[in-house]
Amino acid sequence: MSRFFRSASDSESDSESSDNESFISDDLSDNEVDSEGEEEKQQDDQPKKSRFLKGTGDDSDDDSDNEFGGKRQVKSQKDKRLEEMQGSVKAIENGQKNSDWTRITNEFDKLAVSVTRATTGFDSIEVPRFYIKVLSDLDDFMQETLQKEKSAKKKMSAGNNKAVNAMRQKLKKINKQYEKSIAEYKKDPEAFMVEEEEEEIPEPIVKKKVTPSEKVSSVETEAVDDGFTSVGKGGKAVVEVTNETLLTKLRETLENRGKKNTDREEQVAVLEVLLQKSKSPFQKISVLLALISSRFDINLSMVEYMQLKLWKSVEKELNLLLEVLEANPAFVVCENAEDLDNEDKDITPAAGETIKIRGSIVSYAERLDDEFTRSLQHIDPHTTEYIDRLRDEPSLYAILVRTQSYFEEYQMKDNISRVLIRRLEHIYYKPEQVIRSIESATKELLPKYISSKITSSEDPTQLIHQICSYLYKQSASVLRTRAMLCHIYHFALHKDFHTARDMLLMSHLQESIHQADINTQILFNRTTVQIGLCAFRDGLIKEAHAALQEIQGSGRVKELLAQGIQAPRYGQQATPETDQLERQRQLPFHMHINLELLECVFLTCSMLLEIPAQAQAGPNNKKFISRPFRRLLDYNERQAFSGPPENTRDHIMSAAKALASGEWEKARDFILAIKVWDLMPETQDIKDMLVRKIQEEGLRTYLFTYASYYSTLGLSQLSVMFGLPVSNVSAIVSKMIWSEELSASLDQVSQCVVLHQVELSRLQVLSLQFSEKAANLVDQNERLAGVGRDNSKNHN
Amino acid sequence: MMAAAHDLTLRMIPFLDRHLVFPLIEFLELNKVYPAEDLLKAKYDLFNNSNMVDFVLDLYKKIHNTEDTPQEFVDKREVVLNRLEELQGEVQEVMTILEKPEVIAALRSDKAQNLNYLKENYNLTENRINILYEFGQFQFSCGDYGGAADMLYHFRVLSTDTERAFSASWGKLAAEILTGNWEAALEEMQNMREAIDQKSFSSPLHQLQQRSWLIHWSLFVFFNHPKGRDGIVDMFLSPQYINTIQTSCPWILRYLATAVVTNKRRKNQMKELVRIIEQEAYEYKDPVTEFIEALFIHFDFEGAQKKLKECEDVLSNDFFLAATQEDFMESARQFISETYCRIHQKINIKDMSQTLNLNQEEGEKWIVNLIRDTRVDAKIDFEENTVIMNTPVTSIYQQVIERTKGLSFRSQVLASAVKKRAEAQTQAAVESAH
Repeated sequence: MSRFFRSASDSESDSESSDNESFISDDLSDNEVDSEGEEEKQQDDQPKKSRFLKGTGDDSDDDSDNEFGGKRQVKSQKDKRLEEMQGSVKAIENGQKNSDWTRITNEFDKLAVSVTRATTGFDSIEVPRFYIKVLSDLDDFMQETLQKEKSAKKKMSAGNNKAVNAMRQKLKKINKQYEKSIAEYKKDPEAFMVEEEEEEIPEPIVKKKVTPSEKVSSVETEAVDDGFTSVGKGGKAVVEVTNETLLTKLRETLENRGKKNTDREEQVAVLEVLLQKSKSPFQKISVLLALISSRFDINLSMVEYMQLKLWKSVEKELNLLLEVLEANPAFVVCENAEDLDNEDKDITPAAGETIKIRGSIVSYAERLDDEFTRSLQHIDPHTTEYIDRLRDEPSLYAILVRTQSYFEEYQMKDNISRVLIRRLEHIYYKPEQVIRSIESATKELLPKYISSKITSSEDPTQLIHQICSYLYKQSASVLRTRAMLCHIYHFALHKDFHTARDMLLMSHLQESIHQADINTQILFNRTTVQIGLCAFRDGLIKEAHAALQEIQGSGRVKELLAQGIQAPRYGQQATPETDQLERQRQLPFHMHINLELLECVFLTCSMLLEIPAQAQAGPNNKKFISRPFRRLLDYNERQAFSGPPENTRDHIMSAAKALASGEWEKARDFILAIKVWDLMPETQDIKDMLVRKIQEEGLRTYLFTYASYYSTLGLSQLSVMFGLPVSNVSAIVSKMIWSEELSASLDQVSQCVVLHQVELSRLQVLSLQFSEKAANLVDQNERLAGVGRDNSKNHN
Repeated sequence: MMAAAHDLTLRMIPFLDRHLVFPLIEFLELNKVYPAEDLLKAKYDLFNNSNMVDFVLDLYKKIHNTEDTPQEFVDKREVVLNRLEELQGEVQEVMTILEKPEVIAALRSDKAQNLNYLKENYNLTENRINILYEFGQFQFSCGDYGGAADMLYHFRVLSTDTERAFSASWGKLAAEILTGNWEAALEEMQNMREAIDQKSFSSPLHQLQQRSWLIHWSLFVFFNHPKGRDGIVDMFLSPQYINTIQTSCPWILRYLATAVVTNKRRKNQMKELVRIIEQEAYEYKDPVTEFIEALFIHFDFEGAQKKLKECEDVLSNDFFLAATQEDFMESARQFISETYCRIHQKINIKDMSQTLNLNQEEGEKWIVNLIRDTRVDAKIDFEENTVIMNTPVTSIYQQVIERTKGLSFRSQVLASAVKKRAEAQTQAAVESAH
């Protein structure tokens, strides 16, 4: 049997089934005590059930009602039942050996109850073959006993005799039901038992041929017999779900929602049936609302993601719900609706009347979106599965657009902004072409009449602008902040550095971001980094460095950008809870900013700033612009042997060393050999920009480093050395002279730089340093005194 | 076309009062930057809503080349005149009261008290004072700026309604500007600036808008008042106003730049200006800022020279700057040569003159003057036709002395401050003990 039950153990229902177990045994002992009435009822029920029994049990090859087989039963319960049944079978066999008919009768009763229970209802299984076998065997044994009895009448006790008679009656009745199977068994017992194993496998695939009414009634009966759930308390008789009872049924189902013993999957199944039966818009809406919620209920764990199949059906149903709502403007689903007191009657709105139904489409959409993200977090990004999953994004996006237009229709302002922010978060990190394609895909997915006033534009930048401007007007500051950050991110991504920077500065977000929630902080970090990259693409090295420094300098880039879990630092033990939280925050892979590229850009910027600064300040200075870069460079220099560069970092370090010694060409080659640049848009432009910068900074470094060895330097010579036009060289030199970085002047007549040698003696250097320190000391004292004054003011 | 490309009138109009725009358009007409017809139409549209009926009628006739007077103008004229008479009558009463010597003597600085006094003795209620405001506005709209200024002055003195007083101040500023009363306008503008800085606005945006207005209006004052150029540098470079310029009206940088360049005493402001121009280069550029950029950011003397030529054109076509053009050219040349001299050691006079856009003889003279004026340590080598600069190398001793000069004094101040505080504390302790 094990193969049949291979998907059987659902850990969550364990506790449930153990509860049930005791329940069952109580039930059974009841059965044993007052047998007759119970039995009769049992047998009364039999014919009604037989419709399903026949289907499920006998002719498994004729299309049949197996719908509920494999797919929806609670397996562990079934497990228990089977064990029970097999126990009974054993007992019967033992009884046969001893000719103990009382025992046989008891056990047989038990078995019959178990079998009827197991073979009906939602989690029905086929009539176990061993049951047929037992029936047939018993029949044989009965004949045998009766014959024996004729010959040796006195052997049997009175009790036994009575039991034999009762048994005979029962067997007759039951055997009639299973005539076919028994005949089959008798023909070839071994083959019959073998067949069993094979036949069960295709079972779950057999599908939906049963009519809804039958399904529901089967649920009904099952519920009645079981007594496990309170579904169908209303009546034992099989009730066809009609238009009138549909809503009652729905209410009953809903009442069970969230109860401990409720089988969530079963609820979904019931609701699915109800959905098929529902006709009026009100029914449809109510059932859909319940169904979507129940589907979300199935997976309660925060770690696991919703199964794709489930996700897709929710998506479909949400679309259906919206479609129904769009077609019937008389019904509005909103959160603050009163509970409808309609006594389970269908509602048809009078003309001009709108009926509010309680529900929250926005939270469905949000949940759907969350589940999407969660699934992306869990799927390995390097598999095709991930890509397949990503293909679902347009349809999800379409739902968001659709809900948005629905809310616009009814002016549900809060909901609009909630949906809009979701929508924005799907597109803000995407390049223009991608937004355009997702928008056009959405258009195709949605019916033509869906339109929006807020987001009317086709142009991606304009679209984002419209969404953001709407969100800026909202009172919730989280929305405004996030919208602002997304807007800035979009600008930065599209190389509009100045707009992005100005927006960031004017929003004054840096001052308050520490109080924001972590996800917003992550978004802020992402935005800052993106601005840094944008500045780099624009050739603004200093700005790029400043923007990247905070994130890159922390050494916790992965964590700050939520792009991976940082290995815990020494002495910091991450608790499982924080670890869990962090995992939930991770961004899906397709949203990542390439970390290697980031590091590469940061280090290159650092190199271009740090190397000339170092050359200017001379050796042994302790000031630095970029601490991480300095550390790497120092480490690199300490190494006894350094091979040719392998990774990005090595390349930049080698380039830095080359640049420091004035070999800009070597530095250029190292930098250009880095492969990550190809990930940038407009790679060639960036490389050209880098070469130009390396030339300029190389010249500056050269002048700083070697100025003391020359009295004059020809401008034309410098220009040849660094491959720059003379005018450029003279501009750079002029700038250095003007800002007093270089003590030199230009000779216009002979076109050369005249360097003023100022050779300082040791004493002079020291005295300069000393005077500087003294000045610092006084400054500091004044500041201290100032602080003291302020404090004393406060005290007074 | 160049002149039109760099014309700022269009950008500035949203920030100006319609009456203030008038001189700008007149100026454009004079310079023939735009087709005369368009300007005429612009003027017509500008004043169509105002009460200057006769003037508008003239314009109408000019545009349509007719001599007939449409009925609407006649009607409007009627309405305006009636209203004028009505208001005049009411105001006359108020003014007679206000002009009585005993009233003038009785008025104090406390507004509420004044109001009470007038109410009790002359039955002059708040409502009647508001007539002054309305009449002032009406006169302004009619083009009688002097009268308007007068009315608004009286109103402001008496009224307790801060919002209206604020509007009255704007009106008065405009009226003073239009009458060319620069002294009063400057004072008015300073008041305005204080009022804007101190007033609490409902939104920062509103304050920003008010500041941008003030910036634009103040241009009239700054470029006409003899001391204006000091004022403009001070005001525009103050943090609030430089922020306003950067956010809402970067084109003002042209005026700021011109003011800094032409202002001989404010050379140290140049660094700040350069920084701002560099920051805003992506947003606003014109020959004036480009000149500064070329000279102080790129050290491209030739480029600066080219831009300077363009500046000449731009300045002569700018309403505010036309008068400063000569001054600007002179100062700009000086900036170029100074920078040049500081960077170079040996300069060919011929090249230098070329850079300065002068012929050789003029250039030589100019350099001599420069050496004399700015006391640059330089000599002309006549034989080689070069200037040789002696770059002063500050000796190390000098540097140390410079650095340590103030230290002892500062420490003394600090010590005495600490001492004082300690004494104060002990005294306080003693007092509390008692």
